[in-house]
Amino acid sequence: MTRTFMDWGLSYEWAWGLATIAGILLIALPLMLAVAMIIYVDRKVWAAMALRRGPNVVGPFGLLQSFADGLKVFLQETIIPSAANKGLFLIAPIITFTVALAAWAVVPFNSGAVLADINIGLLYILAISSLGVYGVVISGWASNSKYPFFSAMRAAAQMISYEVSIGFILVCVVLYAGTFNMNGIIEAQRGHGLGIVNAYAFNLLLFPIWVMFLISSLAETARAPFDLTEAESELVAGYQTEYSSMSFALFWLGEYANVLLMCALNAILFFGGWLPPLDWAPLYLVPGWIWLFAKIFAFFFIFSWVKATVPRYRYDQLMRLGWKVFLPLSLLFVVLVSGWLMVTRYERSPHTALCPSLDNAELAARGAAPQGSPCVRENLT
Amino acid sequence: MNLTASLSLIAPELVLSASSLILLLMAAWMGDRHTQTISWLAALALAAATILAVPALSGGASGLSSEAFGGQFRADAYAAFAKILIYIAAIASILVAPAFFERLRAMRAEYPVLIVLATIGMSIMVSANDLMTLYIGLELNSLASYVLAAFLRNETRSAEAGLKYFVLGALASGILLFGMSLLYGFTGTTNFAGIESALGGGAQTGALFGLIFVLAGLAFKISAVPFHMWTPDVYEGAPTPVTLFFASAPKVAAVTLTARVALEAFGGQVEAWRQIVVFAALASIVVGALGAIGQTNLKRLLAYSSINNVGFLLIGLAAASLAGVAAMLAYLVVYVAMTLGSFVALLLLQDRTGEPLETLGDIAGLSSRSPGVAWSLLVLMFSLAGIPPLMGFWAKFVVFRAAVEADLLLLAVIGIAASVIGAFYYIKVVKVMFFDEPADREVAAAGGVNWAILIAAVLFISPLGYLLTGWLGTLANTAASALFIAA
Amino acid sequence: MIQTFAFYLFAVLLIASAVLVITSRNPVHAVLWLIVAFFNGAGLMVLVGAEFIAALLVIVYVGAVAVLFLFVVMMLDIDFAELRAGFIRHFPLGVLIALVLLAEIVLGVGAYRAGALELGAAGVAAEPIAGRSNIDNIGALLYTRYLFLFESAGLILLVAMIGAIVLTHRERPGSHKTHQNIDRQVRRRPQDATVMTRPDVGQGVEL
Repeated sequence: MTRTFMDWGLSYEWAWGLATIAGILLIALPLMLAVAMIIYVDRKVWAAMALRRGPNVVGPFGLLQSFADGLKVFLQETIIPSAANKGLFLIAPIITFTVALAAWAVVPFNSGAVLADINIGLLYILAISSLGVYGVVISGWASNSKYPFFSAMRAAAQMISYEVSIGFILVCVVLYAGTFNMNGIIEAQRGHGLGIVNAYAFNLLLFPIWVMFLISSLAETARAPFDLTEAESELVAGYQTEYSSMSFALFWLGEYANVLLMCALNAILFFGGWLPPLDWAPLYLVPGWIWLFAKIFAFFFIFSWVKATVPRYRYDQLMRLGWKVFLPLSLLFVVLVSGWLMVTRYERSPHTALCPSLDNAELAARGAAPQGSPCVRENLT
Repeated sequence: MNLTASLSLIAPELVLSASSLILLLMAAWMGDRHTQTISWLAALALAAATILAVPALSGGASGLSSEAFGGQFRADAYAAFAKILIYIAAIASILVAPAFFERLRAMRAEYPVLIVLATIGMSIMVSANDLMTLYIGLELNSLASYVLAAFLRNETRSAEAGLKYFVLGALASGILLFGMSLLYGFTGTTNFAGIESALGGGAQTGALFGLIFVLAGLAFKISAVPFHMWTPDVYEGAPTPVTLFFASAPKVAAVTLTARVALEAFGGQVEAWRQIVVFAALASIVVGALGAIGQTNLKRLLAYSSINNVGFLLIGLAAASLAGVAAMLAYLVVYVAMTLGSFVALLLLQDRTGEPLETLGDIAGLSSRSPGVAWSLLVLMFSLAGIPPLMGFWAKFVVFRAAVEADLLLLAVIGIAASVIGAFYYIKVVKVMFFDEPADREVAAAGGVNWAILIAAVLFISPLGYLLTGWLGTLANTAASALFIAA
Repeated sequence: MIQTFAFYLFAVLLIASAVLVITSRNPVHAVLWLIVAFFNGAGLMVLVGAEFIAALLVIVYVGAVAVLFLFVVMMLDIDFAELRAGFIRHFPLGVLIALVLLAEIVLGVGAYRAGALELGAAGVAAEPIAGRSNIDNIGALLYTRYLFLFESAGLILLVAMIGAIVLTHRERPGSHKTHQNIDRQVRRRPQDATVMTRPDVGQGVEL
């Protein structure tokens, strides 16, 4: 996009700035719209599974329900509890919302259609999603109220626990793809399954990983059945208890933006992102972003489905699942995946990989630091 | 030098690492009921590591061929000498533990595992040829030690010892790291040889600061005055088998490490660090001797005794000569034997309920109640005091001879004078045991392994040990020369 | 231009938040400022082209370590006024240490070219291989030249883990929560738990 602006006669820096702003708007505004609609979808799916009709009054089929809700919330009075820590109380929802949007910067919508095509894309996502917990923790503490505080404690422990195993899961994917770049990961999935299917999930080693990732992403976004941070039967509404009006709406928007992000990650990391499901020429006629949106929608349906049908976990069960099941399993799979790749993809086994940089004579000749590291095994794919 | 050759040089560490992981899994799955098995297996692993370290002892590999991983690690005779000593001390502290902890029902299967891990750390320390290796080894040893000190977590004293050790140890690590960062900044390398060649003959102020901070950090680890404050408290609070461990193995590791850093990295700055070492040596001897006089708790007394001994060890280092380092190594051997013996004797002393006897009052008239332990302690105390027919005398003698040869006559004279003061409290212990009215607490000495270790230690430091001096002196010379060939 | 601006922005924010860490009265605020400081540090790392370190800084320090700090600080009722009670008494010692450190810094800054900084000097530096990201480069170094140190550092972390467990873990026999057997719960069928009966009037049920 920078090029287009430069063609208009702008200097590179101005063009870059304009392009970035345009890109941000191009992602953030539709995302907000998508969040509004996805809340509607969530409620509809949930209703359908409970044999209800769900929202059906505002607009055709109740499609405008979310907008009506938004307007209502917008017009409400912002109430700040008198004992609350005012600054932090107001900043918390902003953090949640900002962080939820910031993560989308590295999500590719099509080949090259990504706001920031950085080489540590996946790490960036991991970093940003680890920031999400601060919104919850700060709001819980700043509310100066019992239930929000419990919720904050739960959220902190929960997110840290699941981030550990998510980290290992992502390592497996990265090992296969050989890159942290999101587009690179998607490209690496082209024809991965028997040369036909564009998805990592059809790899016997990565399929269990995907299942773990799906469950962990439920926990990471505090969706049912892991929504202990806002368990209404125990904690009123958790960290949101004291919030009203727009600050409440920001939490809501941020939360659903995060859910969509996790759906997108599922699609990108394991189901080929913007690639069509099959590596078959006619399918490429459909634009990439449509494939991505379809996949995101499918995953969101799964999320809703789970929310509608699975009872909430108890807190110690949640912790046990994270630390005693997922952590050892994901570790095991890191070992399995790297072992498998070592045997199949990289020619030389570790024992014969004599490292020239460990050569004493050479070290002496060069001083302490050898130039670069010549003994990196080449990726043979 | 390729990976395979590097790996073969770290064989003892590899064996220990692998066995620590296996033992940890065993501890996790089999639970605390199988502690005995795990302890014996850990001792076995340490014995295997000892055997693996033996070939390097006679100078098997030297110079560049003893360097592994591009000069970060060095498995020369010097390191092997220290390693064998460390492994033996570690074996002893594993074997004496079950009897002690069982009385308190506090034996956990993690104890031998932690000892093995700490031993790996010390192994890395003595082989360190690079500031980074030094730090990694030191931290591995320290972290395991903090946990071991607090091992009796339900006892306030033990928990306090752990906390105190941790806080002060972390401070010392900080100081050490700060010094290392300065050195790196001023020399541009972390390799010992590289530092020496970069510093050349003289040294800039900044590098000198680095040297001082590094030595200060290491002085904490060997509990040399003025960084000794933690020693009595930690030695007293920690469970006795752990104290035995602290007083023996980490001392060996830290002293040999200090000598290597001083002579290899700062080989050109002998004059700069010699005054520091001389001061620390004299201060340690005096403070150790004077501090011990007022103590009634035997563990505290032995703590001051170890501070005192560190002073004598540092005299050997201050000589900065081949003879000095060889003397230091010989002293270390005798010191380890005396320390192991004293603490094992302490472990043997308990009343009928199993309550340990730890104060001077408890051992009054011990000669009539438990003559075996009393006579052993007599030999040990006389040896610690440096009274002639015993090995303690020989050790002190070689150290002082090295100091005199290096023209440090004054240091030697003051050292000898202070050791006479030190003899006072050792002899006081003997007097209490043999001439005081027996205390009314019964003594029930138990534990076959403890007796075996005690007898071995006493035999070694008895005049019989002089049969070994020739052999020991040769080994120490070979080991010390490894330091000087490389430098 | 943008780089310069970003540098000063990050640097000023970093120093300001670092100052606020030690001056804020509320410990929770102090931790939050610490997080801001970490974040700006990560920004500086990005500016020098060490994007991997930046990401690690955020993931490890901001995402995990600081959360734990916050967790602990929120749970503890720390009274800063009480902590500061000994301030005057220890002030001289503090000043002394500060002076020593200041002298060190001056020394260091004044002589930053004193030694032959091999990693900084041209020609002998471990230059990044062209066309490789610094993740590749760091990985290549860690697993070749620094393999031994890297693995030993792993042992240190293992010891820390063992230590934490040894010092805190307590078996609580008889507690239901720790001995929940999920397999058994899942295997349980309705017929194992409930019995359908049709009792006669006035007879009741016999169990």
